[in-house]
Amino acid sequence: MAFSRRSLLAGAAGLGALAAGGLSACGSRTSISSDPNELVIWYWDRSIDPALLSIAAKQIPGTRRHLRADIIGGSFDTKLRTSLAGNAYIPDLTNINSNVSLYFPNEDMFLDLDELGAQNYKHLYFDWKWELGVTPTNHFRFFPLDTGPTGFYYRQDVFDKAKIPSDPESVGAAMKTWDEFIELGQKLKRNVGSFMDITAGQLFGQYINASPQRYFDKAGKPLYMNETSTIRDAWNMAVKAIKAGITGNQQVSTDQNAAWESGKTAGHIEAVWWAQILGDTAPDTKGKWRLAKQPVRAGNSGGSFICIPHTCKDPEAAFKFITWLNNPQNQAQAFNNIQLFPSAEDSFTLGTMKSNTGFFGDQDPLTFFLEAAKEVPTSFISTYEAQAAFFGTEITNVEAAGKNPDRAWDDAVAQTNKILRKRGVHV
Amino acid sequence: MTVTNPAIGSARAAEEPSTTERRSRNPFKRFWPQYVAVAPFYILFLVFGMFPLIFSIWLSFNDWDGMGQMKFVGLAQYRFLITDSRFWLAVGNTFLIWIMSTIPMLFLALVIAFLLHTNIRAKGFYRVAFFIPNVTSAVAMAIVFGSIFSNSFGIINSFLNWLHLSQVPWLSNPWGIKVVIAVMVIWRWTGYNSIIYLAGLQAVSTELYEAARVDGANNWHIFSRITIPMLRPVILFTVITSTVGGLSLFTEPQVLFGNTSNIGGPADGGLTIVLYQYYQAFNQFDFGYGAAIAWALFIIAVVFAIINWRLVSEREVDGQKVFKVSRKQRAAHASAEPTEVAAK
Amino acid sequence: MTTTVETPPAATTTRLGDPTKTSANARTRSLVGRIVTHVCIIIGVMFSIFPFYWLLVMSTQTTAQIFGYPPKLWFSSHLWQNLTQVTHDIPLFQSLLNTFLVSLAVAVLVMFFDSLAAFAFGKYEFPGKNGLFVLLLATFLVPGSLSLVPSFVLMSWLGWTGSFAALIVPGAANAFGIFLLRQFAQTSIPNEMVESARVDGAGFFRTWWSIGVPMMRGGVAFLGIFTFITTWNDYVWPLIILVNPRRLTLQVALSQLNAIYSTNFGEVMAGAVISVVPLIGIFIIGSRHFIANIAAGAIKG
Repeated sequence: MAFSRRSLLAGAAGLGALAAGGLSACGSRTSISSDPNELVIWYWDRSIDPALLSIAAKQIPGTRRHLRADIIGGSFDTKLRTSLAGNAYIPDLTNINSNVSLYFPNEDMFLDLDELGAQNYKHLYFDWKWELGVTPTNHFRFFPLDTGPTGFYYRQDVFDKAKIPSDPESVGAAMKTWDEFIELGQKLKRNVGSFMDITAGQLFGQYINASPQRYFDKAGKPLYMNETSTIRDAWNMAVKAIKAGITGNQQVSTDQNAAWESGKTAGHIEAVWWAQILGDTAPDTKGKWRLAKQPVRAGNSGGSFICIPHTCKDPEAAFKFITWLNNPQNQAQAFNNIQLFPSAEDSFTLGTMKSNTGFFGDQDPLTFFLEAAKEVPTSFISTYEAQAAFFGTEITNVEAAGKNPDRAWDDAVAQTNKILRKRGVHV
Repeated sequence: MTVTNPAIGSARAAEEPSTTERRSRNPFKRFWPQYVAVAPFYILFLVFGMFPLIFSIWLSFNDWDGMGQMKFVGLAQYRFLITDSRFWLAVGNTFLIWIMSTIPMLFLALVIAFLLHTNIRAKGFYRVAFFIPNVTSAVAMAIVFGSIFSNSFGIINSFLNWLHLSQVPWLSNPWGIKVVIAVMVIWRWTGYNSIIYLAGLQAVSTELYEAARVDGANNWHIFSRITIPMLRPVILFTVITSTVGGLSLFTEPQVLFGNTSNIGGPADGGLTIVLYQYYQAFNQFDFGYGAAIAWALFIIAVVFAIINWRLVSEREVDGQKVFKVSRKQRAAHASAEPTEVAAK
Repeated sequence: MTTTVETPPAATTTRLGDPTKTSANARTRSLVGRIVTHVCIIIGVMFSIFPFYWLLVMSTQTTAQIFGYPPKLWFSSHLWQNLTQVTHDIPLFQSLLNTFLVSLAVAVLVMFFDSLAAFAFGKYEFPGKNGLFVLLLATFLVPGSLSLVPSFVLMSWLGWTGSFAALIVPGAANAFGIFLLRQFAQTSIPNEMVESARVDGAGFFRTWWSIGVPMMRGGVAFLGIFTFITTWNDYVWPLIILVNPRRLTLQVALSQLNAIYSTNFGEVMAGAVISVVPLIGIFIIGSRHFIANIAAGAIKG
């Protein structure tokens, strides 16, 4: 029918213009809180200390505002992005998870914290963590919350059974390089049939997390195409690990948990926050785990940020909240209450942090991970890493489906480049 | 579409004088109740469905990350789609899983409905028991089924071991994962469809059955000559909705692998079309491409739905068959004097 | 309705001549048949229920027991603890009530509007009917998840963000239900009844109410139950559109239990059970309408 087709085209054209204007041209911005003295923050459960939140709920120290904290469960990014896109009901403050680089292309949606005086606080935090909140255009928009320094968790009892010297010093000394790590894994496999980690993909990812160089440089140029690159090295290591059979090929979480609990997989390279999960899912293994230094140096996995969307009704107050929430005392308290590993170096020297001993026998995880946190290299996580997931997928194909490693590498590079070209990156 | 019931209005319409003037005014005047009856849906759709629909069509001709500016790219998304091997893998997966799940599922549902329709006790309990899978949380079921099918630690593999058979890598093999997903789908939807069939069976008058039994017809005759033809519209419904549901399969693979970095599972064996679309839109933030995938799926769904509709609706079904009941019916036809139940 | 069935072959008549033998055979056959039927059903029921049973078990366990190996398939003792934890962490009762009201509203509206439209599509001819119906089916096939942003924008234009109207109104009539009930209308409503109602002078709406709905009762009940359940379980759209933490639906509230690092799975499972139990209740109540024998004795023929 001519009528509906015409109106359809007109509608589409009109909507197209609307959409091109970013959907913010029409429609008024609606505020998320009708109380002018109330700021709203979106966060997810156990990512901010509830005790601190209840103080801020009455009054944010140093301001005349108070804070309403809304928990957003799953699909956090979807909800945040939808609100930002629709320009309505945007919170005044929000947490962002470690995937902060996903927001770099739209960094204008968030305030530049330097303009609010962030530089005065920089010295309090680990450099590498601070740098992760700096966008490619050198604006600092994402303030450090917690961090995830990594180490090698391992089952001391399994290592004992395998007649491997099992105290943390010896284990760390036995794996100063990745080749040595693989050799150790072969010994473990030979002697008791256990694995060093759940998947080769895990090793691959953690290798990169511990390296100064990653997938792209700040200009967005792919580094994995270079003659030598971290990615290629990580890949080669992972392939070697697969060939040596030192990883368990446990691709699903139920398999993984069962493996760790039974000791079939006797190790895992992961961040400090994994200890909580381990404690919750396998409490019977308490006292059997230890921490050793992973090959080469420690890395960082996870850790979140906090930022101020551009629609915030009182940026100064919001920033006061951020700096108050993250001062060394409060970060130490947050560690004690909900095990968020501080990003403020001074937290550790205050002497107020209580360590979760017992799970690692007589070893103090706090000391261990503090040392690890000092080692973490400064690196740049590009927004395009979301498109580089093919490397992880292909390594899984090599491990789980027996795919030829060289073909897998070529496929990973080809698919990644194809997507990047689609995104307008010159490859 | 079979129109076995001469519906009410047509007889009247035929009586109307054929002047153009009268015809243009009369339909709305004469049939205004029917138009009012069907209007609410279209009105609601116009208000709430139209804008998002046009938006998503428009989106498929653009490049948009969900927050920033849109960039018009013409047919580029679709051109990319055609050459995207991962998309076509997803199409293949979706069809394979659909075959593995929908066909057995509908057949089982019919059998169960028929069983439940007989004179047995505790029908109420059985009905609830079969319906429960449909309301349980998918996330919880991912844990349960992940555990049942676990490679080294699962019940199924332990059972296979006990039978001295080799273990199957359910969760790390592209075919294994399809079986797991198909089993989850069958588990979740069989009871639901059997309830629909049961409701349909209840709607068939028992007098038909009684008359048939008096004449000496056995269960098989009743099943094939009375029940199935009477149920045909309902069967058509379940075939269409299962087809659409199967093509849009998303929940099961997503709860199994959605939180991992490898969203399609081992070798992308569990990657379905809608999962891929969701991944492009909400993980890669490539909404334009997600929209293109969605509309490609729409075209596939329309074609497939039409095929299914034709297959189930036709009275005489010749040649190749996909739908098992039709095959049985034809066998019944071939073996005895063809007698059609004229359903009115 | 006329039924034509073939005349039985002669052998049956002979068998009929011997009453004792026939009834014994018939009884044995029927007994075997009944046993087979029951066994099949029991097996099916066990498969159906087992994973749900496991969910119930998980709701009484701690996270450790849930992920423990070997899996513990008998009840543990933490149900009360998990339940109280849920009520402590989220506004459980408020969101239960909200969800109940919203789901009920949508179910009632859907039953009303869809049965009207289905009755018209199924039993009447009117100009443009086929085209309209095809259009309806087409909307059924249209992809949904991409409409989040435009729907959100639309709602904020209407001022419905954060309100339950955004959850209720858009779904008040849907293609799925109209399609379902149209098929039921075709299966279960004989033309003669509609015709005789017309002859008696009843208009469309009267016929719909007095004949259509009662005869489609199984389908309408099913649609009502199913719509209630779908609305109850809807997650993504309510997540996006509800912004007031005191006015949430159940699934959104339950999703808040997902912590950033370590989630209490026993609590999550308890929440899942809380979410399911009302649905089972609704199903039991509503499915009584499947028992009723529709059209019994209404028309002879």
